[in-house]
Amino acid sequence: MPTVDALPNSFSFDPDSTALVVIDMQRDFLEPGGFGESLGNDVSQLRRTIEPLAALMAHWRAAGLTLIHTREGHLPDLSDCPPAKLLRGAPSKRIGDPGPKGRILIRGEYGHDIIDELQPIEGEAVVDKPGKGAFYATELQELLDKDGIKSLLVAGVTTEVCVHTTVREANDRGYECLVLADCVGSYFPEFQRVGLQMIAAQGGIFGWVAESPEVIAALQEKS
Amino acid sequence: MTATIGPVKANPYLWPYDGSVPVTRTALICIDWQTDFCGPGGYVDAMGYDIALTRAGLPATARLLAHARELGMLVIHTREGHDPDLSDLPANKRWRSAQIGAEIGGPGPCGRILIKGEPGWEIVPEVAPVAGEVVVDKPGKGAFYATNLDLVLRTHGITHLILTGITTDVCVHTTMREANDRGYECLILSDCTGATDPSNHTAALHMVTMQGGVFGCVATSDDVIAATDLS
Repeated sequence: MPTVDALPNSFSFDPDSTALVVIDMQRDFLEPGGFGESLGNDVSQLRRTIEPLAALMAHWRAAGLTLIHTREGHLPDLSDCPPAKLLRGAPSKRIGDPGPKGRILIRGEYGHDIIDELQPIEGEAVVDKPGKGAFYATELQELLDKDGIKSLLVAGVTTEVCVHTTVREANDRGYECLVLADCVGSYFPEFQRVGLQMIAAQGGIFGWVAESPEVIAALQEKS
Repeated sequence: MTATIGPVKANPYLWPYDGSVPVTRTALICIDWQTDFCGPGGYVDAMGYDIALTRAGLPATARLLAHARELGMLVIHTREGHDPDLSDLPANKRWRSAQIGAEIGGPGPCGRILIKGEPGWEIVPEVAPVAGEVVVDKPGKGAFYATNLDLVLRTHGITHLILTGITTDVCVHTTMREANDRGYECLILSDCTGATDPSNHTAALHMVTMQGGVFGCVATSDDVIAATDLS
């Protein structure tokens, strides 16, 4: 079994029962001029994940393994957006308002889709989620069950919000989660650091943390 | 007249988002105040951690509990634990607990560690449930997964949650994230929570306040009590 040098200890995985889950690599969060940047965030903190993640995805696809993408967003009529989420944002920058790349966080809009560098290819599932976690009110659990997935490699943005929430959900459901430090990003360096630290704390209370080149090397050793 | 709560002087906005809320639509959630996590002689204590850190929120929580009971607010307690036959214990959770020397189901200082019915699994007396209060048993860190919590809240017409408990960065945060995705308006109380690592407590509270309150708001129990309108 491929084994990766990780925190708090080494992580072994059976590639056939492992999925790479790429969370919310959407234009609205990552692109200059997008919604995330319009809120004053530094998108370069997220964009540093693109290159290592693209490399990992290429190796993962070459090995023919399961790759799942997620997108956060809502239906155009906002019927799946809780009032507490909708009304909390600053007026004029709320979900559904016109944004720089289409209506903010609305399914089907240009800004809601995945960045060009990491677009899904045929056969890869894209899970649309209304919340931060990828399990709540989505088909993710069914997709994983169908493919017999037991372990998740987790990448995407942002580390302390959607990545953390999804890893917490996955962990409670019994999935082994390896979070890839160089393939997850936060607008805030402090949260990147502490977010990763929380995953591996207390003997790995939510899972493991490693760098993506370690995973690529482990895949190549196997073949 | 029904008492209301809000606006509470909270960070990053006056909580709740909709101004104020009748106590009949608000629940006080007390998460995992169990002997094994914060009681003298529990397993966190036996492992050599300073339980003063996980006990720090007990006096304020006890005071807020009395306030909530007086108002007739719904109070829900949670407990993390597993069935004695371990049939609801994921293999990786068991393995990891063994790695740090506290295997779930193994013998601990207050009975089998994290097993339902054992003394260490019980809620500490300072904030113990009284008759009529709901107790939710959960197998994970989040109080929504594989429990009836969402059903209980919806049945009572609850839309707003006030969160206390331990630990801030693990079970309280996981539950707050689950609640937020389900549309509940959440308030976490800095003086009614705690963690084995104080820097994780601080960071977890800080995370809540970013981006306009991505998971809700942070306040203190005094802020909630001060924002209670009895008229």
